[in-house]
Amino acid sequence: MKNRISEQLISALKAAGVDFFVSVPCKLLSGQIQLLEGDSSISYLPVTREEEGFGICAGAHLGGLFPCILMQDSGLGNSVNAIKSLIQFFQIPIVMLMSYRGSPGEPVPAQAPMGWLTPELLRLMQIPVLHCHHRQDIADIGPLVSHAWVTQSPVAILIDFNLMEQN
Amino acid sequence: MNRYQLIESLVPILEDTLVICNIGIPSQELFSICDRDNHFYMLGSMGLCSSIGLGLSLTTKKSVIALEGDGSVLMNLGSLATIANRSPENFVLIIMDNGSYGSTGDQATYTSESTSLAMIARGAGCDNVIECSGIDTKELLGDVLQQRVPSVIVSKIDPGSQPLPVIPLHPIILRERFRSSIKS
Repeated sequence: MKNRISEQLISALKAAGVDFFVSVPCKLLSGQIQLLEGDSSISYLPVTREEEGFGICAGAHLGGLFPCILMQDSGLGNSVNAIKSLIQFFQIPIVMLMSYRGSPGEPVPAQAPMGWLTPELLRLMQIPVLHCHHRQDIADIGPLVSHAWVTQSPVAILIDFNLMEQN
Repeated sequence: MNRYQLIESLVPILEDTLVICNIGIPSQELFSICDRDNHFYMLGSMGLCSSIGLGLSLTTKKSVIALEGDGSVLMNLGSLATIANRSPENFVLIIMDNGSYGSTGDQATYTSESTSLAMIARGAGCDNVIECSGIDTKELLGDVLQQRVPSVIVSKIDPGSQPLPVIPLHPIILRERFRSSIKS
């Protein structure tokens, strides 16, 4: 379902130079994915798993593009080695746009244990994070994305369940 | 023919392509046989060679070859579905299938028993899947590069690896020289 938050997020990423997107599906990211599917100004493809997505994004960056992966925060756990031994080791800028499943509002209890770990795991992995609690936080995406490019590093945008649910 | 001999036979036609080479001994063998700027040796991220190759192939007109192993493909089978549906004409996946985890002590993989990666690739939707002997691989690779059809080549070879040292290149030097070779 497209909504203003989906449009704000994708516009902010594109305005900051992101031009290559992959996604692992999430109910909360369906609006963004729908926008990307219909956007001929960027490259977009769905992938089967987060780790695979990091590999594809690394290849796209070797070819000169600025990649973003859309994923649930649970996918962070699937991708630790790829982020460490590929993305950070070869200094590849990438934006991780993550729906923060397991944050308050989440109806699926199994999402919570990984959700409790996510902020601390990002910190331990030395990944700069923008945690969006409110709509106005989206305005800070531009500087974070520029930071990824300048430092040739991954950055994460973590979006609360309740914010993603808003229309 | 083992993997070292297969790589040795392919090196002449790899010159005009961009090569993503699987982690561990395959990269060490390629590096030792012939080191060129258009080789991207995976130094980490086990299993992601085919994915890096696909991502790169979507950004360039040059031919991109992912030099993969059977064990590596088995741990990222979803990649075959993505390749089947999104591979451009300039991408070739070569699976050097020696039925063995060569970098970790030659433990057998399931391709040495019942599993066929060619059948899995076909089932994933890949159109041009070729299973061949190591000896025939060079000629078949030359053909698909000339025809520019996205292809998966499963090259059946013997197990066994050369004892070689770790690649002494800094990752950023490796990245930068590879990127220069894309532009040249």
